[in-house]
Amino acid sequence: MTVLAWRLGILVGFFAVWEAVAAPLNPLFYIRPSSLPGALLGMWRVPDLPPLGEHVWLTLQEIAGAYVLAVAAGLWLGFLLGLRRTVGRIYEPLLAALYAVPSVVWYPSLMLFFGLGSASKIAFGVLLGFFPIVLSVLAGIRQVPATLVTVAQSMGARPFTVFRKVMLPAMASTMVGGLRAGLALSVVGVLVGEILGSRAGIGYVINYAYGLMMTREYAVLALLAAAAVLALDTAGALVEARVKRWAG
Amino acid sequence: MPGGATTAAADPIILEAIGKRYETASGAVQAVDSVSLTVRAEEFVTLLGPSGCGKSTVLGMIAGLVRPDAGRVLVAGTPCAGPNPEQVALVFQDGGLFPWRTALDNVTFGLELRGVPAAKRREIALGLLEPMGLRGFERKYPRELSGGMRQRVAIARALALDTPILLMDEPFGALDEQTRLLMGEWLVGIRRRARKAVVFVTHSLQEAIALSDRIVVMTARPGRIKDVLDVTLPFPRDLNAPEVTELRAKLWEQVREESLKAMGTIS
Repeated sequence: MTVLAWRLGILVGFFAVWEAVAAPLNPLFYIRPSSLPGALLGMWRVPDLPPLGEHVWLTLQEIAGAYVLAVAAGLWLGFLLGLRRTVGRIYEPLLAALYAVPSVVWYPSLMLFFGLGSASKIAFGVLLGFFPIVLSVLAGIRQVPATLVTVAQSMGARPFTVFRKVMLPAMASTMVGGLRAGLALSVVGVLVGEILGSRAGIGYVINYAYGLMMTREYAVLALLAAAAVLALDTAGALVEARVKRWAG
Repeated sequence: MPGGATTAAADPIILEAIGKRYETASGAVQAVDSVSLTVRAEEFVTLLGPSGCGKSTVLGMIAGLVRPDAGRVLVAGTPCAGPNPEQVALVFQDGGLFPWRTALDNVTFGLELRGVPAAKRREIALGLLEPMGLRGFERKYPRELSGGMRQRVAIARALALDTPILLMDEPFGALDEQTRLLMGEWLVGIRRRARKAVVFVTHSLQEAIALSDRIVVMTARPGRIKDVLDVTLPFPRDLNAPEVTELRAKLWEQVREESLKAMGTIS
């Protein structure tokens, strides 16, 4: 409870300091937080801005698509490499090396391949979200205690049963951490993709507002995006904590 | 204890000159070499020897988890080809409980694999846990139990399979001395009711003397049988009786020799 109180206090203090600093300065560059709610309300009717609802909806769809694909690809490749030792030993260093490259360098080529529309945003979200998932699966497989596999085998468990009743639960907490990180990164990928070049989506609107020097609107949108990422990650954290409690 | 005249077909475990080599980075290691042993029905046999003498490997071969590269393992008269959960149940060194399952669900695991209906599984598991003093702990996870409790759950999990053979690999190795002695006393009580052939691996003389009908002393690597001692003292055994002291001295002499050899090969 005290932790929560402190967090709230820090948040309130942050906005108070921001307000105090911004108040005497040029309102075009130094936006006062007290002006943000009004800006948000007005934004739905600002004629210069594209209709916000549609863009938010599009971005959410892109995020969902990117995350679903990142999870599918991450789990598939993770189990493929993790369960087949030789294949894993061939490809794992490659994967780690690719992960070390800042993913944004691939974005121009994604735009070339997938165009300016949603596909390139989804592709970038997949690219970012995929790595933590595949790496967590690989780490999870390595963490499965050999004794527990032997216990199940000694009781007559066949490979698929060992996988379902021993490996999956033993990997659960590691894997769920990767899935959570993957979600956050998929969101980042889609938003960054939209900001870097697009014709629709919340990132596009942010860029648009910024380009027209509508700094108040820009600030509101940026904060909203941040809040949305935080909310998603908090939901992820709750799921992760629950799984970890269960899997010990 | 049944006499030595039982027919071969009735003997639950027969080891015929089994051997096992492991390939390691520093060359091949002969872990077990021509071990021959017959365990009779309801007999409690202890494999005693220094660490790394291949005791656990012998157990693994009986369980069908390790394939011998020489000799034969017969379980219930049939050559052993892989795990045989109808005949053999195992208790592992560190318990090997599934941390994500409650005590109860750990005990029911093997029954689940057998396809026993849920209500029946529960009934069997509770019937085992209660007399073990684990009533009220069925819903606890392994991390919430003491070391002795965890080990009892592991034993209950093996007993749930209701096999004629029980293999125990240093089941009390991780416990403190007092708990270990108490668990030994408890096991003496259990085994008389359970009517199983037990092969028990330990490096504790005390434990071997307290529990066994026969003690098989193994040599340092490669693991061979050095000596077999019958222990005919009645249960429960008074560990301070003069016969026990004498037996312990005799065992110690043999184990000491092998432990020294084992230390020699380590350094």
